[in-house]
Amino acid sequence: MTRDEIRDVILEIIEDIDEDADFDSLDADQPLRDQLDLDSMDFLDIVMELRKRYKLQIPEEEYPELSTLNSCVNYLEPKLKDS
Amino acid sequence: MADYQLIIIGGGLSGLAAGIRAARFGRKALILEQHWQPGGLNSYYFRNGHLLETGLHAMTNFAPPGVKHAPLNRLFRQLKLSRREFATHEQLRSEVVFPGRSLCFSNDLALLTEEINRQFPDSVDDFQRLVKQVREYDPFAVRPWRSTREFLSAVLGNRQLEDMLLLPLMVYGSSEEHDMDLGQFVIMFQAIFLEGFFRPGETIRELLDMLVSHYKEFGGEIRYRARVARLVKNGDRVTGVILEDGEELSCDAVLSTAGLPGTARLADWPLDQDAHSGRMSFMETVNLVPSARRLSLKNDRTIIFYNRNENLSYCRPGEALDPTWGVICFPDNFQGLPQADPFQIRITNAANYAVWKAADQETYSRMKEKWRARSAAEAGKIIGNYQQDVVYVNSFTPVTIERFTSKAWGAVYGSPIKFKDGRTPLVNLFLAGTDQGYLGIVGSMLSGVTIVNQHLLT
Repeated sequence: MTRDEIRDVILEIIEDIDEDADFDSLDADQPLRDQLDLDSMDFLDIVMELRKRYKLQIPEEEYPELSTLNSCVNYLEPKLKDS
Repeated sequence: MADYQLIIIGGGLSGLAAGIRAARFGRKALILEQHWQPGGLNSYYFRNGHLLETGLHAMTNFAPPGVKHAPLNRLFRQLKLSRREFATHEQLRSEVVFPGRSLCFSNDLALLTEEINRQFPDSVDDFQRLVKQVREYDPFAVRPWRSTREFLSAVLGNRQLEDMLLLPLMVYGSSEEHDMDLGQFVIMFQAIFLEGFFRPGETIRELLDMLVSHYKEFGGEIRYRARVARLVKNGDRVTGVILEDGEELSCDAVLSTAGLPGTARLADWPLDQDAHSGRMSFMETVNLVPSARRLSLKNDRTIIFYNRNENLSYCRPGEALDPTWGVICFPDNFQGLPQADPFQIRITNAANYAVWKAADQETYSRMKEKWRARSAAEAGKIIGNYQQDVVYVNSFTPVTIERFTSKAWGAVYGSPIKFKDGRTPLVNLFLAGTDQGYLGIVGSMLSGVTIVNQHLLT
């Protein structure tokens, strides 16, 4: 997957989790949680969706890698390059 | 490979929520419900062509869609249900009635604050300080039991106000007598005074149907009339369950919503049953009254919490029932609901399980009649006499509750000793529901969700 595709997947997953998600003013370098008002339970869902869709196992100590939209893309790019 | 990755004992609200969570992420899950329909404590039945709900007075934790951190909306996101498509009806207003004083409250805290200012002018600042402290307290942090009574007496220094605030919170959620853990108090205060009462658009049946079909869409299975006889163990692990008809099902993990004493019995793990059985149980009477009688009664409230004594004694009564304090609920009185004919009046009083349990069948029926009349007489002093107009009446006692919900001693709020993290002595057996410390429908569902998240997904 390209970086743009990965980005779209993340946004799609968040939209799927939260019917009120609003990406209009989303800053890709700022934490997703604060901007979208998500909590740790929602965050778990992002991880679980990635696992369900791409069989990705993300260990808990690497969750911080998923904090912003750009860091998600950076972290997932090598893992999803063949997907 | 085991037959199932997860077996859930109990198709009540916490079991269904847990099932949806597990099935949503591909776990092969099976819910075993002992009755022919789901719901547990919050189910329904039909009499004279009317659908009557068994447990629901109101749901707590009202929040409009879009308030993301509100427990109700978090729950909907976790279950992947649309909050915007879920119709809700907020309460009109409710009231706490004590000798010489009353406090109204609604889903707008301003009303309660105003009422306190009117009835307890010296305490309104203390009350606002209390609200601030409640908002800042994290009830889910693990800490030792702390007395709510001591906390309130220090913050408010007014026993009657303390009792009046505690009555709704205790009667809708406390398994402890006389006092409650501060964390529990904070959960209840937020759920009732800061968020508030509402009803789903339709009845509990439609809510249950929606949850069951959602669970099945994710691939979850549910079996009714499937009573678990015992768990199969190997060392400190559960390997399966045996049903009462002898069928054995293997699984990787079990989540039980059968309560702490009930689960310990199924798993044959030693537990002091008496210490872990709640002493608080209730008798509830459902009355149907023709709509024409509406005007002669005080019926513009959603729920009335009454106490006819000076102080509140939240405890198991010495006799079969204590009609001197309780709850009068009008389940039809929510905003935007059509006027029902006949309309319902539900009266709830603390009851003594042991007394009801000891009675033979004939005595039991006579006791029901006698205590129903006494309870109606007390409630009549508050809302006006309705007894002569009742077209249908039905009561359930602690014994009924025990039979239908598996809750030992009919303790609707479970054990006074909570296993907050849901762990048991068996490494792959977990508890969810009332014995975990969350309360109400929203709370018990969040408990199912949380236990699956913490122990069964990762």
